[in-house]
Formats: sequence, C-alpha cells, structure tokens
Amino acid sequence: MINAKPVKIFFGPQHPGITGNMMIELDLNGETIVKAKTHIGYLHRGFEKLMERRTYLQNFTIVSRICVPEPDINEQVYAMAIEKLAGIEIPERAKYIRVLVLEMARLVSYIMWSGGHAASMGLYTLTQWAFADRDYLIDLFEELSGARIYHMYIWPGGVRRDLPANWTDKLLDTIKYIEKRLNDYDKIFFENAIFIKRAKGVGIVNPVKARERGIVGPVLRGSGIKEDVRKNNPYEVYNKLDINVITETGGDVYARAMVRRREMQQSINIIRQIVRDLPTGAFYKRPFDNPFNFKIDKNHTYQKIESARGEYGYFVASDGTDKPERVHVRGPGFVHAFTLLENLLIGNKLSDVPIILTSLGICPPEIER
Amino acid sequence: MNIVWTVLGIIGVYIYGVFLMGLGRKISARVQLRYGPPVYQNYIDILKLWTKKTNISHGIMFDLGPVFLLTGSIGTLLLIPIAATEQLMYFGFSGDIIVIMYLMVFGSLGFALAASQGANPFGIMGISRALTLLAAYELPFILGIVILMMDANSASLSNIISHQAGGYMNWYIFKQPLAAIPAFIALLGMMGKQPFDIPIAPQEIATGPMAEFGGKYLGMMMSSHAIFMTAKYILFVNLFLGGAGNPINMIFKVFLIWLFPLFVGLVYPRFKTSQAVRFFWGVPSLIGLIGLIIHWLR
Repeated sequence: MINAKPVKIFFGPQHPGITGNMMIELDLNGETIVKAKTHIGYLHRGFEKLMERRTYLQNFTIVSRICVPEPDINEQVYAMAIEKLAGIEIPERAKYIRVLVLEMARLVSYIMWSGGHAASMGLYTLTQWAFADRDYLIDLFEELSGARIYHMYIWPGGVRRDLPANWTDKLLDTIKYIEKRLNDYDKIFFENAIFIKRAKGVGIVNPVKARERGIVGPVLRGSGIKEDVRKNNPYEVYNKLDINVITETGGDVYARAMVRRREMQQSINIIRQIVRDLPTGAFYKRPFDNPFNFKIDKNHTYQKIESARGEYGYFVASDGTDKPERVHVRGPGFVHAFTLLENLLIGNKLSDVPIILTSLGICPPEIER
Repeated sequence: MNIVWTVLGIIGVYIYGVFLMGLGRKISARVQLRYGPPVYQNYIDILKLWTKKTNISHGIMFDLGPVFLLTGSIGTLLLIPIAATEQLMYFGFSGDIIVIMYLMVFGSLGFALAASQGANPFGIMGISRALTLLAAYELPFILGIVILMMDANSASLSNIISHQAGGYMNWYIFKQPLAAIPAFIALLGMMGKQPFDIPIAPQEIATGPMAEFGGKYLGMMMSSHAIFMTAKYILFVNLFLGGAGNPINMIFKVFLIWLFPLFVGLVYPRFKTSQAVRFFWGVPSLIGLIGLIIHWLR
C-alpha cells in the first residue's frame, strides 16, 4: 500500500449525498476513510433562545420547525412537558388522537426515509414512489389540521380539533394502499440483491458501545437491544396498545433498514387498533381561562417520547411567568452525527458514506437548536 | 458523394441519440410516477449549452478533453456500418473490430487526462473509478467478441454481419448465446446507468469527472455521449442482431436493445467499485470463457 498523504474532502454542506445542512470533513487514502469529522453551523436559528422570549403557546409555532421530516413529535413532547409542569389532565379521546397522529407522523417519516435511503444508493425509482405515497398521508394531515407539514395540532389540554367526518374511513383506505405499496417497496429495494450486498456488514454498531454512547432508536434496535420508549416508558395510551419492540441482530446498515421496514408495518397495525378502539367524548379540555395570561409556577421537567429516529426529549424549566425559563431539546441526531458517525466511517469507502449517513437517521436542525 | 452520406449518417445518429436520451428521461419519469420533461428537452439543453460562453479553463488538456471524447465517439461510429447499404458502410476494412475496441477506450482515456487536470478530487476519483470499471467490463465484452471472430473466422465487422444473413435464427444472439450473455452484461457497464453508474455516482462523488465542466464543454460531452451511446448500440446490433438492411430497421433494433439497460437501471441500486469488478470478472467472464472453450473444442 502506498503511504500517500491523505486527500481532504469536504462532504457537504453542498453535496448530493448529505442528508441536511451539515458537513463531514473526510481524510481519504485512495477511497478509504482514515479520519472523519462532523461540522455543523449551517442551520443555527437559535430555537431554544427564541422560545425563552415567547409565551408557552406561541412556542408551538417554533417547536414544530425543529425537525422538518417529523414535526409532530416536537409538539407532543413540548405539550407533555407543559402538561406535566401545569398539572393538566387531558381527555381519553385526545390521548388516542395524539397517538394516531404520532404514528401517522412516524409512517410519513419512515416512508420518506426509505426514499432517501434508496437515493443514497442511486435507486431513484423508490425515492419518487416514496415521496408520492407520502403525499397521500400528508393530504389526510391537511384535512385534519389545516396544514401539510407543520400541523401545530397537538395542544396543551388535548388536540386542536376533533376528527372530521368520515376521516377515519379515508385513513383506513390510505393505510390499506400504503400497505400494498410496501410490498412493492420490498420487491424493488428491501429484497433487492444489490441492496443486500451493499448494506450487509457495513457500518456495524457494537451493542455494548452503543449503550455507552447513548445511541437510541432504530440504530440501537438494529444491534439487538430491546429499547423503545413506547414500550419501556409508555406515554399517552401506548400501554393499552399491542406493540412489540422490533429488533434485528446484525447491527449493520441492513439491520437498521429492516428494523425501520418492520416498524412501518407496526405503525400501520397501531393505527388500525386506534381507529378500532377510539373512544367518544371530548377531544379538548381547556386548561386556562386566558391563553394570553397562562403562567406556570417555578418547576422543571424532562419528558421523552419515541420518534422515528429514537428517543426524543425536552427539558423545560418554568419560572412563574408566562414564558419558559429554559427549553432544551435532546434529539438523537446529536449523538449519532458526532460520536457514532465519526467512528463508524473510519475504514469504510467513500461509497459507504451516504448509506451509513442515511441509515443513522441524522436530522441536522435538531443538532443546532 | 461518399462524404455527404458520412456526414448525414453522423448527424442522423446524433439526432437519434439525443432523442433516445430524452425518451429515456420520459420513460423513467413514468416508471417513477412522475410526468417528466418533454421528449425534446435534451435538444433544448444541448442547444443552450452550445451557445454558452466558457471562461474557466484549467489548462490545455482540460480544454482538449471534451474534444477527445467527441473525436473518440465519431471515430468509433465511422468504422461501424449503420446499414448494409453501399453508402452507410463507411470505412470498414478487415480487422476493423480491433480498431473499434481501441477507439472505444480512446475517448475515455483522453477525458481522464482532462479531468485530472481539473484538480477536483471528486473528478480524479471519478476517473479512477471509470478506468477501473472499463477494465472490468472489457473482459466479458472481449471474450464475447473473440467467440464471434472465431465463429466467423474473421475480424471484420462486415464479415460478421454477412455471417448472420438468412433469417433471425442465424443471428449470433441465438446462435452464440454464450457470447451474447457476457457481451450484453458488459453493455450494462458501458452505458453507465445503475447498477454501474459508479464513475458519476452523485451521492458519493458529486457527478465526479463532470463536476468541473460546464457550458460548451458540457454540451460537447452530452453530444459525444449521445453519439457514443448510439454507436455502441449499433455495434451490438451488428454483432448480435444481424445488422440492418436499411436505416429504419437499424433504428428499430437499436431501440430494442436500448430498453435493456434503461429498465435494468430503473430497478437496481448502484454497486460499489470493488463489487462491480468482482461481478464482471465473475459469472459473465466465466460464461464467456466456457463459450470460448466449447467453441475451440468443436
């Protein structure tokens, strides 16, 4: 082997293989990576600081923008934090609708992810299919909340509106269509010989080290560890639903893809259960008399939920005024993009960078709040 | 009069090649549930690129690279008979297949020099990938051609065509399947579509060698791609589908072969470089080798 000086490549922020506004500085020996360093700073909008000078309710317009592919988790976890701090109880129906929305959001996020993962290997057919199918679910969101991406539908005290008439029938039809399409996804991508050849044995996450480094979500479950906030620390009505923690044993890109593929099916099953069990009653219980004067006593809390990329938490501290004293967002992207990605890339080829990157599910906006 | 027919042939192949590129975009779009650009979009693109002014240069080799590509494409085309008419047989001679195989590499090598002078690391990586891939798919391709040359007992393309005369069962694709299989798999690599779009791989090396070229250079590269792609299809029609009696026949046969890499490209992701080399030197080369031995023993 020739001991040449490594070539430095800046993979991003303007690069077709990067998943967002971030950059990886790669030292390459030929096409083999000898050193990788993640750089951020291309997207900083100061979400956490902005939230300190707006009221609790105004902040809902900000939190949903922290993660574009999956905004609803932010609303949910922020609403949970406010409810915990102010001691608000929400109606049973609202809990079911919230879980319904969260699982739809998970499905949307996974469908979009499968498109992105296929594109990182050059299979654009699935990318286009996935983005088209995702739109059917977004149409349902639009009918439900009035918005396509940033719904701002989950609200302290419940949800903003009740389900529209016949909406659940449309949802079931769409889910049935998506389920049928997932078979096509399998044929073209998840069972594709070249995909399996490229994904197996690449980017292996060691389960012991994964625990130590605070890795979460499908990446952790792909290494065989049963860890899911929905099951281990259930919120809303997840304890009443029939869900399994899906794990795979490989720990590689393929295992992570299969975890996500099976969780898509599980989300579909959960949505069906919720539509079946949906109770009647109020969808919202007004927790405050005057929304412009909604104050919370001095307290602090940390709430977490399971997003499509893993455990997602908010630390919120109140100081007796109508604005939060401090909000801190803990997304899975931070750990995945720094400690994990930088270590996983070493020794791999440049061709493996985009597939490892997408398999970790890194979302740069949640790194730079 | 010969020179007029030659120029007309080149222009015809150019126009048909650009049409196929546009049609390919449309067909891919429909498979992907998109509407897609109009079929004539590539004509507009190339016209626009030819009218652009180019100010940036990285040296004399960089300027010559696209010219090499175009020269290699047209040179290859001139040795390949478009149709078995007196005017369109061009400059064939005994042993022209060897020269065609050399000229097919000429453009890529010239372009490699140009992209290296561009000093973009992605470009250099793309070129090294392209040359590796070239070495990989040449083996099954040459094995296939050697079987045909042995069967026809000649290294002249026109002799190989005349050997396939008399009904489609005489075509080498049916008569010599052990030569056709490796050669058609090599065709997938030549076309640079998925799973063998390794040299441009946008997600990995940001379109590689093409990254530094814009304006007129890019227009020249797109033109040469249109000509070269069609020339290779015409070569395959001549080698395996018995050539064509007239240009209409040729257009139809080229269209048929052209669908093969297009649809394979739509349903497969990309190989890694090492995997592609292992693939080409594996089963297709083995089939070619078996065909060669069987043919030699007979």
